[in-house]
Amino acid sequence: MIALVFALVGLLALLLIIYLAKGHHATGGDLDELAARLKPVDVSAFRNLIDEREEEFLRERLPAPEFKNIARERKLAAIEYIWSAAENAAILIRLGEAAKQDSDPAISSAGEKLFENALRLRLYAFKVVPRLYLGVLFPSAGSAPYAVADAYDTITRQVVMLGCLQYPTRGMSSAL
Amino acid sequence: MLFLRYYLWIAPHLLLALVLVGSVRKGLSRQLPIFFSFVVFELIQFGALFTLSVLAATSIDRYRWVAVLGMAISAFLILAVIFELANDLLVSRSSLTGVLRPLLRWGTAALLLFAAIACAILPALGVQRVLNMFQVLDFTSSLLQTGLLLSLLLFSRALHIAWRSWTVGIAVGFGISASINLATAALRTEFGRSGFIAVDITQMAAFHVCVVIWLVYLFLPERAPKFAGRGLEKTQMEFWDQELERMVRR
Repeated sequence: MIALVFALVGLLALLLIIYLAKGHHATGGDLDELAARLKPVDVSAFRNLIDEREEEFLRERLPAPEFKNIARERKLAAIEYIWSAAENAAILIRLGEAAKQDSDPAISSAGEKLFENALRLRLYAFKVVPRLYLGVLFPSAGSAPYAVADAYDTITRQVVMLGCLQYPTRGMSSAL
Repeated sequence: MLFLRYYLWIAPHLLLALVLVGSVRKGLSRQLPIFFSFVVFELIQFGALFTLSVLAATSIDRYRWVAVLGMAISAFLILAVIFELANDLLVSRSSLTGVLRPLLRWGTAALLLFAAIACAILPALGVQRVLNMFQVLDFTSSLLQTGLLLSLLLFSRALHIAWRSWTVGIAVGFGISASINLATAALRTEFGRSGFIAVDITQMAAFHVCVVIWLVYLFLPERAPKFAGRGLEKTQMEFWDQELERMVRR
């Protein structure tokens, strides 16, 4: 029985490897179309969702079961915002990759840095989202641990930045 | 059937010799020296085993011990190649280093532990020590390779980063071979000696596919991704660079 389970695992791994390998060929594309796919993020709403004082206020005012439901929904909404930021970062990675190929060394160098920083943001999103899901499972476990709250703050700043991508002239100062 | 077995034993190694020559001519042996060492070792191992098999004086036990020793060295080299591929992925991407290295280290440890438990549960092949060692090595190395290669491919896919096509080719080749070996190594314990030939043929066919993939990627021209449109202006890009750097530094 156990041997059959491993045989099945091996076959599933084979299919997954083939699928992932196909994805590696899908590079390149229309940069204008890529830039148009960037999603605006409502930063003030996101900040409100992750505000610990707001959460404390709700905890004090609402009965425990109702608070649990609301806290869960707030975290799910925050996860959606972070995914939007992570998707924007994925687009920035490709825009950075394209800029790295530019013959102008200044653009190439700027693209390199953009690529590197967008990569960090995406990695960061992958670290924070599981913690938020943990918060969805245990909403009454108290406010976010210090490290998570710290992470929230970084993500807020990063979401602000990415949210501003489509509107470089507004949003940054008001959101921060 | 005998012809098929000999074909699947000899042909992939002839193709592997072509991979060796091609990678030397293209200078890829300097780019991935451990992979190069693996290819050289595989060819030496094939030569040794083939010679032993045609020598009438060789006992089956001696042949088996040489095969097990070769398999152990080969498994170790493949693991080293996977770490070499990960290094290739990390080149010029310093932010990945802090995440990918621990991921691979912990992944290897977890998979080893898991493989040890699984080997204890799986039925033994027989009373002979050499056969049982062969089974443990075959299963453990396949599980480690499949798990680590899947992690690497998933990691690069999740982050939307591209490898050079030659390194993708090596990873995919090893991945296909390792996953088929994992499935068949488990089945070998289920069917015992009666399934040896079928399992051997499947594993040799998987290695054949793996070498063909390497050859295709080796001789395909390296394609840089093609982009159309303007994308971001330099000033926009500098703006985002500054903002991102400020945010990452906090």
